[in-house]
Amino acid sequence: MAFERFTRDARAAVVAAREEARTTGRHTVESEHLLLALAARPEFGLDRDQLADALALEEQRSLAAVGVDAAELEPRAAGRSRHEPRFATSSKLALQRAVATAAKRGDRRLTAGHVLLGVLAAEHGRVPRALRIAEVDVDRLRREI
Amino acid sequence: MVTAPPTLPDDPADALAAVGALRRLADRVEDAAVERAVLDGWSWADIAEALGVTRQAVHKKHARRVQRAGIARGGR
Repeated sequence: MAFERFTRDARAAVVAAREEARTTGRHTVESEHLLLALAARPEFGLDRDQLADALALEEQRSLAAVGVDAAELEPRAAGRSRHEPRFATSSKLALQRAVATAAKRGDRRLTAGHVLLGVLAAEHGRVPRALRIAEVDVDRLRREI
Repeated sequence: MVTAPPTLPDDPADALAAVGALRRLADRVEDAAVERAVLDGWSWADIAEALGVTRQAVHKKHARRVQRAGIARGGR
C-alpha cells in the first residue's frame, strides 16, 4: 500500500513522529515516536505525557539493570538532531504492520488507527515495556480501535 | 555513573532492553562530546580519529547539528 492511501490523520501522525524524534535530539524515528505522536491525538484515550514519562522510566530501569545510573549523567547536546531523523527498523516495522492490518481488514485507506495497531503489534521492545509501566490495557485499546 | 559492577540481567528482555538503552546513552554522550570538542577547536579530522571513524562519517552525522546549535565550524 502506497503512502497515497494514508489518510490525512495517518500522514499527520507520521510527520508528528518525526518531530517527536527531532525535538528529543534523536537521529532516528522509532516506533515509540509513532506511539507518542498517536497518543497526542484525542481519539485513542491515551495520555502522551504519561507515555513519555513511562518511556523515560523504562530507559532508566534498563540502564540501572546493567549498573548505570543515568539520572546522574545528563550529557545533553545543545544541537538538535540533524534536519530529518530517518525512520529506523522499529518504526518501519510498525508501518508495515499497519499496512498489513489494513489489507487484512480489506480497508482501502490507511488510518491513524491502523498505524496505532501497527505500533501495538510489537511484542518486544520499548513500546510494550513502556505501555506496561503506564498500565495501559493494550488488549482493550486494540479492540476499541 | 556506573553504580554497580555491570551484570547481565537474568531476563533476556531486560538484558536486550539494556543494550538499546546503552546505545541511546552512547549516542547522547557522542553528541555532547562532539559539541564540546568543536567548541574547544578540534577539527573534524581529529574528532574522527578520536572516535575511530572516518572524517566523512563524523561530519555527516554532526556538522549540520553542531552548526544549528550555533557552534560554528566549517567543512573541515
